[in-house]
Amino acid sequence: MRYALRAPAYAGLGLVYLYRWTLGVLWGGRCKYHPSCSQYALDALRHYGLVRGTILTGWRLLRCNPWSDGGVDYVESQGIFR
Amino acid sequence: MIVGSPLTPLEDLLRSILDWLHGSVGFTWAWSIVALTLMVRLLLVPLMVKQIHSMQNLQRHAPQMKEIQRKYKADKKRQQEELMKFYKENQINPAASCLPMLAQFPVFIALYLVLRKFAKHPPPGDLSWLHGFVPNIAAHASAHWSGYVLLALYVATQLVSTVLMSATMDKAQRTMLLVLPLTFVFFLINFPTGLVLYWVTTNLWTVGQGLITRRLMPKAQAPAKRTSRTAPREEADQDGAVPEPAAAVVQPAQPAQPKRVKRKKKRGGARR
Repeated sequence: MRYALRAPAYAGLGLVYLYRWTLGVLWGGRCKYHPSCSQYALDALRHYGLVRGTILTGWRLLRCNPWSDGGVDYVESQGIFR
Repeated sequence: MIVGSPLTPLEDLLRSILDWLHGSVGFTWAWSIVALTLMVRLLLVPLMVKQIHSMQNLQRHAPQMKEIQRKYKADKKRQQEELMKFYKENQINPAASCLPMLAQFPVFIALYLVLRKFAKHPPPGDLSWLHGFVPNIAAHASAHWSGYVLLALYVATQLVSTVLMSATMDKAQRTMLLVLPLTFVFFLINFPTGLVLYWVTTNLWTVGQGLITRRLMPKAQAPAKRTSRTAPREEADQDGAVPEPAAAVVQPAQPAQPKRVKRKKKRGGARR
């Protein structure tokens, strides 16, 4: 039952891994944040599930733009969800 | 076509540009593809400029970063964090941002879809390239010997662009990137020649961009002269070892400097 509830998050995790193995490798992913955006996505999905994890990841991706300074940014330090 | 539907507007846009290039500007279809590819890459140039600026900025701070790396040698995670903090404090970001990279995906996928559809239903008009070197860009790359020439060109340009772009990567990742294009050949061989043309064009652009970037990048340059931030002692020591111009500026404040300067070599480098 617990696993069934977590299934959506696993789907999301699968997508992130898929990105990492294909396009991420191609692009030689180097992110200006630590941990990188894809690692952040994995952490967020594991801790917050599919919906909230996706929102957190989306917000991180938006922040990861040429006009931000990057830096250290863990999922634990997010301020959107309690 | 799961990927296709949300991209339809973008696809239509690219398609109409392609039609315009052929119909109004008067390129052959092959040159229209080349022109369209160049236009897409041209739009991405501002991002590259931004990247070059941050790389130059990074090079100026290289000594301090080396110091951080040395200090936290044992703890890789800590080292990474400290480096990131340093980047943020000095407003330098050596790594690319994820957003523009991801934003490129839909454009490239749409371009691919346009060209695939284009190849399936070739419109009326000249489909050859370079006076019949490629007789039909809508045919598979394996249909004519010119397709193999283009494939070879694809591999070559891909390898060169990878070498240019991956200078800062670790070995394993780099090797992987170098092997990938070879495996892609097996897919590309069944693609329409027009798509291979697109890959070659975009790779050549990447190579050119990489060469220009290298030219603009200062090679092991001196850091810019000190700002008002006071440098810790260790760093001041390091300054003594950098090329002339910066060293000359800080000289009075540094009694220990003379013993570390290797004059002859550094001067030659600085003046060029």
